[in-house]
Amino acid sequence: MKKLKDKIEDLFDNVIINDFYQNRIFVKTNKESVVSLLNYLKELGYDHLALVSCVDHVEENEFELVYILSAYIHNEHENQEKTNIIIKTRISREKAKFTSIINLFENAEPYEREIFELFGVDFVGHPRLKPLFLEINYETPPFRKDFDTRKFVDDFFANIPIIEEIEDEK
Amino acid sequence: MDRNQIGKWLRSPQKMSNKYSLHAVYFCTGCGIIEIPPSITTRWDAERFGIIPAPNPRQANLFLITGYVSLKTLKAIIRTYEQMLEPKYTVGFGSCPINGGMYWDSYNTIKKLDKYIPIDGWIAGCMPRPEAIFVAVTHLWTLIEKDMATGYIKYRKNYKQYRANQEKIYGSLDWPPLYK
Amino acid sequence: MNILLMILSAIISLVTGMFFLGLARKIMAMIHWRYGPPIYQPLIDVIRYFHQRAVSHGFIFDLGIIISLIGSLLVVFFLPLGNISSFSNSGGLLVILYILILSPLGLALSSGESANPNASIGISRKLILTLSYEFVLIIILLSLMSQYQTISLQEIVMLQARKVWSFASWKLILPGIAYLLILPAMLGFRPFEIAGASQEISAGPSVEFGGKYLALNTINHGLLHFITIALFVNLFLGGGDLFGIFDSISGTFWGSFVSLIIFLIKMILIFVISVFINAVFPRLRLEQATKYILYYPLSIAIVGLIIVVAIN
Repeated sequence: MKKLKDKIEDLFDNVIINDFYQNRIFVKTNKESVVSLLNYLKELGYDHLALVSCVDHVEENEFELVYILSAYIHNEHENQEKTNIIIKTRISREKAKFTSIINLFENAEPYEREIFELFGVDFVGHPRLKPLFLEINYETPPFRKDFDTRKFVDDFFANIPIIEEIEDEK
Repeated sequence: MDRNQIGKWLRSPQKMSNKYSLHAVYFCTGCGIIEIPPSITTRWDAERFGIIPAPNPRQANLFLITGYVSLKTLKAIIRTYEQMLEPKYTVGFGSCPINGGMYWDSYNTIKKLDKYIPIDGWIAGCMPRPEAIFVAVTHLWTLIEKDMATGYIKYRKNYKQYRANQEKIYGSLDWPPLYK
Repeated sequence: MNILLMILSAIISLVTGMFFLGLARKIMAMIHWRYGPPIYQPLIDVIRYFHQRAVSHGFIFDLGIIISLIGSLLVVFFLPLGNISSFSNSGGLLVILYILILSPLGLALSSGESANPNASIGISRKLILTLSYEFVLIIILLSLMSQYQTISLQEIVMLQARKVWSFASWKLILPGIAYLLILPAMLGFRPFEIAGASQEISAGPSVEFGGKYLALNTINHGLLHFITIALFVNLFLGGGDLFGIFDSISGTFWGSFVSLIIFLIKMILIFVISVFINAVFPRLRLEQATKYILYYPLSIAIVGLIIVVAIN
């Protein structure tokens, strides 16, 4: 039996695999091969999408999307490893757009909505891409590094006037 | 009952009953709600002073806002406050409703709560201990007795300003104005 | 004279009902190792409710709570309280059974008009629970009627004073036990607190009540406590009688007074026992409660009825 690392390296180009930690594999790949990689891993038995997250690398002008996969059931006979697989990919920050994986993992829906809302990444193919948490519209999505919270607070909350007492009319 | 209170009871039963029967709304905003269970159960026993948690805003007359107020919570707070029957009293609990507290630069948290609903009193601290609730209640008793806890009258009188501030946050509100 | 007696019994029932509400809170607090509120705390609450602004939901909403209160007060007039009895020599148990359903129905009217989903859930629970315990209550009353060969509540009380209390006679002990088993359900206490569950459905039928409506509802609640326990004391514990000790002064003012005091003491004993039950039990679900009532109290009551009928 080959190890998981070798299997992935055989099948896919453009992957950098780091298995420095025990029970944890970091796979860095380009954005075209993420969906096929996820598909392949799902068929291997890594059928639990634990998290979809996003990191803002503002100096490099890129977002990093992070998918964390693990397996519900570890099949001992097929020599499956008890591993969390962390897949990382970089997308451009300008007009950020990515493919939705909701067909593959249904539970990606709230994560993608959250990332859309807080980072402004547009997921193509998501059926309900509307705000999840926030009540008001922000010009810059608030989790981006270039969103200046103090300026926003000064502009928005500080501008709301204090209630002035009306004198009794007699 | 103290014997010297009988005269007060006969003179103004409304004031005295408002003082000694404060039913608080079960409304969990932020971390301050952790301080409420010890204060209403065995350790501090708020029922001695007639304070019990009311099951719904219609039966309550004390609104404890316990902790930070996010934009989503503010909507619920306004609706709950408008459902309560007059006379009603509000107390801001902890430093977050006063000036934002540790969320002073947060993009999604209200900084000064008394711009949106009237507050009769504040309890400062992060977090105040349950004893602070009782200190606040005794202060509120004094305010009620001196006719100074008039937040609900202020809300009715300045409703246009309050409504304008609320609409400034959300753009438009999906419920009709309480007063004309 | 009759009007004076009516006013007197109304005052007694209202005061005792409010006292019961306060007593329940105090005893619950003491079981929790707290001091608890003063015993007149419900009175303070009611005064506060009357001084608050109220929100009405229409004419039926106002009507329902008044029907409920009047229904409870009417039952009080048909109950002998010690020797004080305004209407109890006429009508009897059948009238009580008939009017007893008026109070939940009035509450159903007004909470249905308020159109709050919590109120609808609460009132449907209350009506289902009422139906199931009313069934047991009818069988209990049937066995008492066939034992004493009368439908008059006052005669039942007098016959008990002459012979032996129903609860102490071996023929009627089974209906008595059945009544004790459905007592928490009639009082709305745990484990049958499903209608007015405050954490679960925000106080159920009274969710939209505020101000004076809540005050009337609280008074009605106290009256219901009074009625349920007064009926039990009259039917099974001999009313205001205490083994015939005070027979020599019966008929005089002091005789009535002493019998009333004895009656109230018996009521308080029964009420305290039900508060203890309320303090230690969790809340049942609706189908569990209905199943319980229709299994154990009903079968006990039926066996009691069969024994009474077979012997007579």
